[in-house]
Amino acid sequence: MKEGFGFRSLHPIVIGTYYAGGITFGMLLFHPLILLAGWAAAVIINVHLDGGREWRKWSLPMLIGIVLIVVVNPILSHRGRTVLYYLGDIPITLESVIYGVTLAMSMLNVLTFFVTYRLTMTEQKFLYLFTRISPKAALIAMMAMGLVPRLRRRMQELMLIQRTRGVTVLEGTIAQRARNGARLIGTLLSWTLEDALQTADSMQARGYGTGTRSSYLDYRFRMRDWGTMGGLLACSALLLLTWGNGHGFMVIYPRLGSFALSLGDGVALAAYIGYLLLPLGWEWRDRRAWLITNYGR
Amino acid sequence: MAHYELRKVTFAYPEQASLALSDVSLSIKPGEFIVICGPSGSGKSTLLRMLKREVSPGGRMSGAILLDQVPLQEWPARELAAHVGLVMQNPDNQLVVDTVEHELAFGMENFGIPRDAMRRRMAEMAGFFGLEPLLDRKTDELSGGQKQTVNLAAVLMLQPKVLLLDEPLAQLDPLAARELLGMIKRLNEEWGITVIMSEHRIDELLPLADRVVRMGHGRVLFEGDSRAFALEAWNRSDEDWASALPSITRWALELAPPKMTPAADEPPLTVKEARKWLERAGMVGKSDARSAAHSVDRGKTSSTTAEGELLAARGLFYAYDKHSPAVLMGLEWQIRRGDWAVLFGGNGSGKSTLLQLLAGLRIPQRGSVHWEGTPFARMSSKQRCSAIGYLAQNPVLHFAYDSLREDLMQAASRAGADNPEQEARKMAERFGIAHLLSRHPHDMSGGEQQLGALAITLLGKPRLLLLDEPTKGLDPLAKMRLGEHLRHIHDQGTTLLMATHDVEFAAAYATRCSLLFHGEIVADGEPEAFFQGNLFYATPLHRLIALGEAGSR
Repeated sequence: MKEGFGFRSLHPIVIGTYYAGGITFGMLLFHPLILLAGWAAAVIINVHLDGGREWRKWSLPMLIGIVLIVVVNPILSHRGRTVLYYLGDIPITLESVIYGVTLAMSMLNVLTFFVTYRLTMTEQKFLYLFTRISPKAALIAMMAMGLVPRLRRRMQELMLIQRTRGVTVLEGTIAQRARNGARLIGTLLSWTLEDALQTADSMQARGYGTGTRSSYLDYRFRMRDWGTMGGLLACSALLLLTWGNGHGFMVIYPRLGSFALSLGDGVALAAYIGYLLLPLGWEWRDRRAWLITNYGR
Repeated sequence: MAHYELRKVTFAYPEQASLALSDVSLSIKPGEFIVICGPSGSGKSTLLRMLKREVSPGGRMSGAILLDQVPLQEWPARELAAHVGLVMQNPDNQLVVDTVEHELAFGMENFGIPRDAMRRRMAEMAGFFGLEPLLDRKTDELSGGQKQTVNLAAVLMLQPKVLLLDEPLAQLDPLAARELLGMIKRLNEEWGITVIMSEHRIDELLPLADRVVRMGHGRVLFEGDSRAFALEAWNRSDEDWASALPSITRWALELAPPKMTPAADEPPLTVKEARKWLERAGMVGKSDARSAAHSVDRGKTSSTTAEGELLAARGLFYAYDKHSPAVLMGLEWQIRRGDWAVLFGGNGSGKSTLLQLLAGLRIPQRGSVHWEGTPFARMSSKQRCSAIGYLAQNPVLHFAYDSLREDLMQAASRAGADNPEQEARKMAERFGIAHLLSRHPHDMSGGEQQLGALAITLLGKPRLLLLDEPTKGLDPLAKMRLGEHLRHIHDQGTTLLMATHDVEFAAAYATRCSLLFHGEIVADGEPEAFFQGNLFYATPLHRLIALGEAGSR
């Protein structure tokens, strides 16, 4: 039901471009305020797409990551003029603290943004993009994706049964556990390879390798894809232009500059946020259409 | 049209002296439904694979295989691959990609078929097989029967003229097997596809087959229609042949030896035909049928009587995770010493889960399992494992070493044997697998793996043995041998509990039958009482009686 609605209805090429650009800009821009705004936009996208469930799942690792950056950067980097404090004889500078915070913001921003990638770019869409670049590699990727759950399930079964005969990683000395673990993995692999021969037969039997392949996956490039693509390109052009003129990042080293946004910074911010929120327009539009059909308002 | 002709085909695998196929001549007409039967290792699979060039084994071959008067070797690769479709035994291993829709499209992609044509065929085929609801699913989440249906549909996407099926039903439970067979039958009847199918359980195939080919030691031993095959198998009075017949046919032939010129529907192959046959022969049949059913059931039951509680399940409750529905709901059950209990139940009713809980492999969320009054929680896992043996549905899971010998020796030394080597050899000899000792377990056939896994489990000297679908994929003779081995174990005082779909096997050996339904044991009793009146969980003979009784009422 989710496919074909709002943001998710866009063509894989548009979605691919969107994420490539979004991440690039997230890394190009280096101003705490802009990054904060970008992060807010990313959260809004998350909330719109699935009520923020996926994002919440990732929030703890992300939090640990940013705390680590914020703490470690001032300890390792001593650039900057304004010394706040001496940790033993290590100088902690204001600049490196701010730099650490901004870097953490940038990380958080990109990660939060990328969480939505998993929601909009389904495996099928990704494969569609991939097939155009390399059909063979796409097939291998597809087979690998089929294999991962199979391997995991088999490993569970194997561990369950082998426990009855004492081959287990759950009890015994560490050396024993390691030996048993290696044995389990070896058994799993030889079993799976044995079966892979049959898979190969099944592929051959269905004419694999008899000539050029075509691809079944298909997405149509609709009007809304053209529109979105145009919007994204316009925002990118504006953003790159201002960025090229030296806007959108803050001077931190050697001496902390001002937090205030210049006019150029403001334009960069607007273009960036516009870029990020553009696909949500479709989300709003479709949601409205849905409300009208169901409740007449 | 598709027309196969085999002329004196002889084939040997490399570095093997014995011939896998010798002097096989066969002519297959378009639209025929051919069943190839015979024990494991009789050359069924080799023959089928010779018919499909892409998967033909390497080796020395003489003779000729012609498809539409053209030798197989001279066919262009693409046309041949599309012309002849192949479905193999293992449902899992034939799946190539991750989703159902893509799996169905895989073959068409290989042929470079344009997108629109692919969509159209997809729509048609998904409609025919009722696969629409599954198209978006991951192939990994499907049941065995669904997987095999997807495999069949994926092959048919290429619109083959000939369908080769290499024991496609062996890994499926009876219900899924029947469903798939129904589809194969429709393909043959409605689309006119030539079907060549190898299978060693042919009870349900005989009524469908136009021609039965019986193989043995790489030769064609018999070729003819189903009824002629039934008579031939009967006249040979060889257990190997007779065990392949449906029990209803055997019973009818035992009751009245065939006349010189049998009628068109004799000997009976189905319950329906058997009913007619009984009426025509003027036999009320009720008492006869009953006594026959008795002799099948009772004749073989072990004499050991069960007494005293060995294993008890108290209020078992189990769910795989908190979002999925519970598999077991407050299950109460006792296994008594000396029982040979059989557990029936539909697909996904939780039979395997229950066995794993009873073996202590999984821990119930609520309730407990007691071994002679001691709850599992108070036993060490080693104690538990040595008291209770567990044989999984897939015997491959039991092997962990590079040869059967090492596997058996490890099991023996774990059980505390003084001379593991000797113990291992003795056990292997007892099951007739001593010649396989240096073989890698994965290189053994399914039946051999089953015996090997059983040997490994028995080396632990368990007092209770839990078996999960032990007869799956075995040919009738191997099944009989397994039955005898189990009876021997049972006579020596091991209590057996077996989850199975195989009603006839259960009827022949069990001392107690139970039915698992909705997470609880809903029926539990002596086999005779259990089978009486059942129409689904019953042997064809019991069905015949039940129908007879209903009719006379």
